[in-house]
Amino acid sequence: MSLVNLAHVCSHLQNASKARLGLTSIPVSKMHVNLMLGLQREGFISSVTLGGTTPPTPFLLQDQLDPEEHEDMAQKLAAEPWAAYPSPKWTGEHLLGGRQVSYNVKVPQNPARRRLWLGLKYWNNEPVLKTMKLISKPTRRIWLTSEDLGRITRTRESAYVKGLTHPGECMFLSTDRGILEARECVERKLGGQPLCRVY
Amino acid sequence: MSVCRPVRCLFASAALPKPSAAPQRSFHASAPRAARRRRPHYPSIKAEDLKLLSQAAETQYPKYDTSETALLEKRYTPAQIAAIKAAETAIDNRDLLTQSSHRTDPWLLPYEDDLAEVDPVTDHAEKLDPSDIPGSHDLQDVNEEERDEAITFIANENLARMFPDGLPEGELSEDTQRQLQEAMGTAVTQALLDPRASFRVKNRHAAAALADPRHSIVMPDLPRIENRMVRQTRRLSSEEAEDPRQKRLLQYLNWDKQKLRSIKVKTLVVHGVTNQTRMGKIRSMYYLTIAGNQAGLLGVGEGKSVEPDEGRKQSVMAAIRNMRPIPRYENRTTFGDLECKVGATKVQLFSRPPGFGLRVQHLIFEIARAAGLQDLAARTPRSRNKMNVIKATWEALCNQKLPDEIARARGKKLVDVRKVYYGGSVH
Repeated sequence: MSLVNLAHVCSHLQNASKARLGLTSIPVSKMHVNLMLGLQREGFISSVTLGGTTPPTPFLLQDQLDPEEHEDMAQKLAAEPWAAYPSPKWTGEHLLGGRQVSYNVKVPQNPARRRLWLGLKYWNNEPVLKTMKLISKPTRRIWLTSEDLGRITRTRESAYVKGLTHPGECMFLSTDRGILEARECVERKLGGQPLCRVY
Repeated sequence: MSVCRPVRCLFASAALPKPSAAPQRSFHASAPRAARRRRPHYPSIKAEDLKLLSQAAETQYPKYDTSETALLEKRYTPAQIAAIKAAETAIDNRDLLTQSSHRTDPWLLPYEDDLAEVDPVTDHAEKLDPSDIPGSHDLQDVNEEERDEAITFIANENLARMFPDGLPEGELSEDTQRQLQEAMGTAVTQALLDPRASFRVKNRHAAAALADPRHSIVMPDLPRIENRMVRQTRRLSSEEAEDPRQKRLLQYLNWDKQKLRSIKVKTLVVHGVTNQTRMGKIRSMYYLTIAGNQAGLLGVGEGKSVEPDEGRKQSVMAAIRNMRPIPRYENRTTFGDLECKVGATKVQLFSRPPGFGLRVQHLIFEIARAAGLQDLAARTPRSRNKMNVIKATWEALCNQKLPDEIARARGKKLVDVRKVYYGGSVH
């Protein structure tokens, strides 16, 4: 479990959101994948996709037709203009909330060439994920009990870890039940190694 | 409701049997640690000290004895004596001894009063009821002649009151002439409004009551106080010059003067600056002013001019014009911790629980007070340049991230638990 790589990911995500990137990639590891899924669950990033060195085609563009198919489409629309509107059956398949949508993404066979592609979020001209900092460091690892976490989530300092005082601040921990958010850990009475704080 | 229960309560012995102290099993080998000693919220005062205090209060503020009350009865009405006694019993002598102090400021009111006169500033004007008039209260409308007669009579009365030394006679200067004309106009207008000019009463007491100001529902005019302080601070409406800058500001804000007066303004930074030209150094004054309505509006303005007064006015107007809304959590503190950096100055603001107060440095204190924040802590870990501290604090307060915005940005539901727990009774 390399915290050095995680530190690189943290600063990379901060830099990427400062540069207002829509899509960025980080090296793949089990911890990174789980942490990014946790971030997505908390709403900090929009998508997590495993891919190669080139970014995966954007999901909305994947549904588009190839240029040669456009001709057929144009002729069909000239004959049946109502086909331009999506039929109810068609929308039902693509409802994001209703059914899981799987997309075709090419993942390289060679694991060294795989990257994790993340969609960054912005709201009101501000990045949703602005700050991401390491708590447990490679040179000084910290473990917190569930009591410590209770205090920290109530904005108090505990075990040399500052409380979650910023509005909407989250802390992710690596526990024996996987990577969880601090409040989730308090709910389940779990302790663990704090990885990073995000707000 | 059970019927048996009240009966059982009736027959039960007065003192309910206390649950006997069960022999507590000790689950630990070591002796239980005593509970932490609680400190009382206020210092405990020994009964003896309290007695001493009472004695001192008794000697300093003694009660009236019988000879004194007899003297009082000679001078005051029973109602006044009752008021005096009520006031004496309402205030504890010990409080008077420990807490009271004499005011020495120029605006102090003559509190140590013998209550012999009605002071128009501190006391309510004396009022009389219709029930105080003996006899019938029947009113009749006057006819034209009676009315003219009454108006002449009342106007003469008013004029006599205005010129106690008699009307000026002989060759009159233009000024005196105009004054006399105005006084006559006023006297006649007052006479027209007088109830004696419109009603006739047979009852002598009722007729007197019509002229008595104690029966009037119109409040008497406040007296013109004459002392040094008042003379120096008095401003006539004619002296007050219309400030074109203020006029423009009011137009810009679409406010009236009353609203502008409610804005608290404070100049926090003043220093001289010089501009080196080929003519030599040009000195001017720099002002930085904050403005706030103490309810979530805050502005910072700068002004610079060769004329000190001009520069200050510039900064005040700029501060009011720059006022921006400050989100406040429960109208008392910030939403979470804030941080802002301007130049080499970094300001960190921390939200705090109710009743914490403003434990911040002086500049941030003034800003927080103008914005209406009550619970705040702050640190300025780096440079403490006054101008930059103020600007950074303002920026930090203005650019707060609100929970609603965060919730919408993340697509999550956020609820203020405090608000839910207290059923919305906290702001």
